[in-house]
Amino acid sequence: MNYNHPELLDRLAARFALGTLGGPARRRFVRLLRELPAARTALVGWEERLAGLASSVPHVTPPDRVWEAIDARTAPRAAAAASKSGWLARLFKPAMGFAFGAAMTASVVMTNPALFVSLDRLAQEEQGLPQSYVGLLTDAGNQPTLLVSSTRQGTRVSVKFLRPVAVPAGRVIQVWALPKDGAPFPLGVAAPADPPKSTTFEISGSSEKLLSTVPRLAVSFEPAPVTGATPPTGEFVLSGFCVKLW
Amino acid sequence: MFDSAALQADIARLALGERAALRRVYEATSAHLFGIALRILNRRDLAEDVLQEAFVNVWHHAGSYQASQAQPMTWLISIVRNKALDHLRSNQRHVADSIDADEDPEAHQIADERPNPMQLMMQAAETMEIRTCMESLDASPRQCLALAYYHGMSQSEIAEHITAPIGSVKAWVRRGLERLKKCLAH
Repeated sequence: MNYNHPELLDRLAARFALGTLGGPARRRFVRLLRELPAARTALVGWEERLAGLASSVPHVTPPDRVWEAIDARTAPRAAAAASKSGWLARLFKPAMGFAFGAAMTASVVMTNPALFVSLDRLAQEEQGLPQSYVGLLTDAGNQPTLLVSSTRQGTRVSVKFLRPVAVPAGRVIQVWALPKDGAPFPLGVAAPADPPKSTTFEISGSSEKLLSTVPRLAVSFEPAPVTGATPPTGEFVLSGFCVKLW
Repeated sequence: MFDSAALQADIARLALGERAALRRVYEATSAHLFGIALRILNRRDLAEDVLQEAFVNVWHHAGSYQASQAQPMTWLISIVRNKALDHLRSNQRHVADSIDADEDPEAHQIADERPNPMQLMMQAAETMEIRTCMESLDASPRQCLALAYYHGMSQSEIAEHITAPIGSVKAWVRRGLERLKKCLAH
């Protein structure tokens, strides 16, 4: 099918937004949303048009237990953030741009987080990709800089340099894991390389063991490789989401 | 009406981990979003689950909201509708797959006292100032659009509901969508 045809794209986006695009066609369109900015634009247009129809739906106040459940489920991150001392907040400041610009993972994945799993499965089925943890680290300007990956049961992490990384003299590229709850812990040190080359380093356990509750990775420049529970001394110069690819 | 600018600012704040902002967004939008979920799912327990899931996701993914792309309320409605539709479709499969299930799937069902979706659509059309334009459309395409949007019905469900061939329903849905776009363009 020729998806470059704007009218076809618009019709598919309309049916996707309405909810009547079913089965394989829906899955194909989800994939299209990742690949084709025009598909995303068409979808947003239709979501906007259809949202007007919601204006007449009578409001119904949900019972208090709904907020209580949301409150409980979102509390740990807040508690963890509150317990983190100022240094973490300071470290994150330069990386904040990435939080807003993380749209590179395609806005649809974010507006439909439930689709994420099926997309990953789809990618794996279609391309035979191994079960892996993958992190795309961007710099303060949101430029993809490092692609960090390791197989699910492996202990070797591969770091592909997408852009040059200017490491200050006497410093190393320290890769950090940022768990959902708790302080960052050091994963290892990546030897610098010229793009598009990759380097590797060993980690202390399998990726599954170390990264299963880690939604983000980051990089700081450190005077020496960090071990144990030592916090970063420098700011995070790169950071990004870490996702399971299966 | 929702204060779009305030919502946008709060979504940016909750992306930075400000919990008070999440509470404000919830207070401003939950009754509307719950109404939408309830209309699609017709079960309070499922609608509560969907609303909860939606807000937990909003908390974790607020950073991905792009103000330049969609109105904040549109973004929130889309999250809730997609979750409700996912629930609806997977729940239907589940019910169909497990006839012997111990739990009665109808147990939480509330009587279908939802207002007529056609009325809802024309009321919305009035607000959107496209009522006359939409009224010039035949009743069948309007009904199909309304059943799909407000009740989350698939095309085959609509065909069954209004006793019409699936081919006609597909054509009507398409015509309904085309008309909506045309009406809004003027």
